[in-house]
Amino acid sequence: MTQAVDLEALAALKDIMEDEFTALVQTYLADTEARVALLHELLTQQDFDEIRKNAHSMKGSSSNLGASLLTDLCFQVEQQSKGNHLDGLDTLLSQIDEEFLLVKEALENC
Amino acid sequence: MSIVSSVSDDGKELVISIQGRFDFSAHQDFRNSYEALTVQPSNYRVDMDETTYLDSSALGMLLLLRDHAGGNTASIEIINCSADVKKILTISNFEQLFTIH
Amino acid sequence: MAVPYVLKVLIADDTDSDRLILESIVKREGHEVVCARDGLEAVELFKSTAPDIVLLDAMMPRLDGLGAAKQIKELAGDELVPIIFLTSLTDTESLVKCLEAGGDDFLSKPYNRFIIQAKIKAFKRMREMHVTLHRQRNEIALHNEHLLQEQTVAKQVFDNIAHSGCLDAANVKYLLSPLAVFNGDVLVAGIRPSGNMMVLLGDFTGHGLPAAIGAMPLATSFYGMVQKGFALVDVLREINQKLKSILPVGVFCCACIVDMDFVKRRIKVWNGGLPDCYLYRAKTGEVEPVRSTHLPLGVQGDKAFRDDCVYLEMDLGDRFFMWSDGIVESRNHEGGMYGEERLRRVFDSNDASGNLFDEIIADVHDYSGEGCRDDDLSLVELKMVEPHEVDASVDALSGHVSTGLMEWALDFEVKPSTFRLFDPLPLLLNILVEVPGLRRHSGSLYTILAELYSNALEHGVLGLKSEWKESPEGFSRYYTERTERLRVLIDGFVSFHLSHKTTADGGSLLIRVGDSGGGFSHVEKLNVGHKTEGYSGRGIPLIRTLCESLRYIDNGSQVEAVFSWSNDQ
Repeated sequence: MTQAVDLEALAALKDIMEDEFTALVQTYLADTEARVALLHELLTQQDFDEIRKNAHSMKGSSSNLGASLLTDLCFQVEQQSKGNHLDGLDTLLSQIDEEFLLVKEALENC
Repeated sequence: MSIVSSVSDDGKELVISIQGRFDFSAHQDFRNSYEALTVQPSNYRVDMDETTYLDSSALGMLLLLRDHAGGNTASIEIINCSADVKKILTISNFEQLFTIH
Repeated sequence: MAVPYVLKVLIADDTDSDRLILESIVKREGHEVVCARDGLEAVELFKSTAPDIVLLDAMMPRLDGLGAAKQIKELAGDELVPIIFLTSLTDTESLVKCLEAGGDDFLSKPYNRFIIQAKIKAFKRMREMHVTLHRQRNEIALHNEHLLQEQTVAKQVFDNIAHSGCLDAANVKYLLSPLAVFNGDVLVAGIRPSGNMMVLLGDFTGHGLPAAIGAMPLATSFYGMVQKGFALVDVLREINQKLKSILPVGVFCCACIVDMDFVKRRIKVWNGGLPDCYLYRAKTGEVEPVRSTHLPLGVQGDKAFRDDCVYLEMDLGDRFFMWSDGIVESRNHEGGMYGEERLRRVFDSNDASGNLFDEIIADVHDYSGEGCRDDDLSLVELKMVEPHEVDASVDALSGHVSTGLMEWALDFEVKPSTFRLFDPLPLLLNILVEVPGLRRHSGSLYTILAELYSNALEHGVLGLKSEWKESPEGFSRYYTERTERLRVLIDGFVSFHLSHKTTADGGSLLIRVGDSGGGFSHVEKLNVGHKTEGYSGRGIPLIRTLCESLRYIDNGSQVEAVFSWSNDQ
């Protein structure tokens, strides 16, 4: 099973953040949770431009935390929303929901 | 521009060869070629075979060499002068101070 | 302003977690961090904290990275504040947009700590170099300004010393750039009391202030001596000696000096290091070159210095040209040199000698094109004219008349050691020319004093017979004897008594010259007619025409001449 979070990357991050690692994780999780909710809302509104921007941001921050699969999903959302396609998007968003939970679990337990 | 110098085995003669333009940029190198010698040569030869150009600062440098080599008692030959070089030396009448070939 | 070892880094990223990570990485490097959440805040923080480096997220709300970058670059102005874009954009179009907005580099996510460190280090070095460059550039600009100011002052001093003399005389044409002195070129010209015109064109080695410095003692000596009546050789020796003693070895002055006699229609030339001068014959259009036969001034000591000159006869209308090497060495775009042949051709193809001067200049300009810089061209033309044509302009130039010496008397005695080495006439004349009204007559006064002194010394003190000068062999015997008797002389004197007073409409100068000799039978001699043939005679008839009265006193060892003038002469 592919890990939700790259442990090596996390180790490097711990090294950098030292005492502030926990605060970082909490910030990320809170931020990302909000962004995921926002994505759903934007989808309802069909605001593809905002979806793209939001997914882009999430992609970046997730990559920094070593959440590779989540990062990739965000990238796909980014691409899809460029084409204004409603279809694939809600599937992707469900996948994001799931993956996020895994990431959250991994981060809280490391 | 480059200055190449060589001293004879007995240290009595110094040959300074100037390649390219003999102008102000040669100043430092020209002086170094004779000032640093521990044994003063009794004879100097300035070889202009590969000298392409000569200006008044070069004339000044020759005067400095002459002064260093004893002024009126100095023995300095300027050899292998091209027509252009010779012309400049002639206008300034430097053959009154140096032996020119 | 030095770049601090600890940098201030501005980080702008709207994603909190990313910002935190970046902040930590940068802080670990030991740098100071300032954080912004969006573009507007980034610009505000830039203004208030003046960071050294800026890390900007490309996409941010309110003002995005690109907009912020543009504003920040504008605010930074001349200073180099590197902007590194934080972006996971990979398409070329976006990256180009970032660069166009002012970005200097990119950092992609996920953040690699080592890459970030490397980039910060590199930009820090670049910024240091930029700051150094800036500082040095300002220093150089300041130095340059100082140099220009110094040159301006030096130029003023020089202008006060090396005034134009008689360069504005009717028979003189000259070209000399106002800043020529900083190229080492100097031109001085003066009229001697005898009416001769002496002109010196010099070309010092070097450029800038060092070249100009030598020109000042040269000009002072020249004008001082010409005014007092010194001869060309004296002026030459004095200048050479002065330059030799003050200039460093290797610095010298190529020069040509001439003494033009309008009465005898001759020119005396000494050329040391300048290109050939040309004597242009008006009648035939022929050109006679006068080569440089001497070392430049300032090279030889006085003993070794050679002052032999070339004498040339000049008819009315003949012209003498001299120039520095700037003319012949003028270059065109391709680097070719104007050369002597072209110059010669201007003379050969000329049909009206009055235009020669302008034609030479025009030809050089034509050849050199727009690149031609007059700074380097120095050229003089001297035309042989009637004496009065020169006098007229000199009077206009004489300037103010001092109101100093009016009534006075002077006694002056010259003894053997002085006879041998020193000519007292310039000294006496120097006093006389300070008298209002007398300066204009310095020529006549010089003639009178010179004749009377020479008589007193040669016939009176040395006992030489004037009859010897009546034949060529006797002439040479006379001068050999003169030298020998002067050499062995132990006793003797020549005395001068000068007294001056002004009258209502002019003044009179009494000149009495006495000597220690035995006198002569002056009564008979005075009655002999004006001797225009032959070499001898005491020149008395000539002096009589110049003076109001002339008489010998006692046994003839004293002679008294009265010279008078009126104010409107």
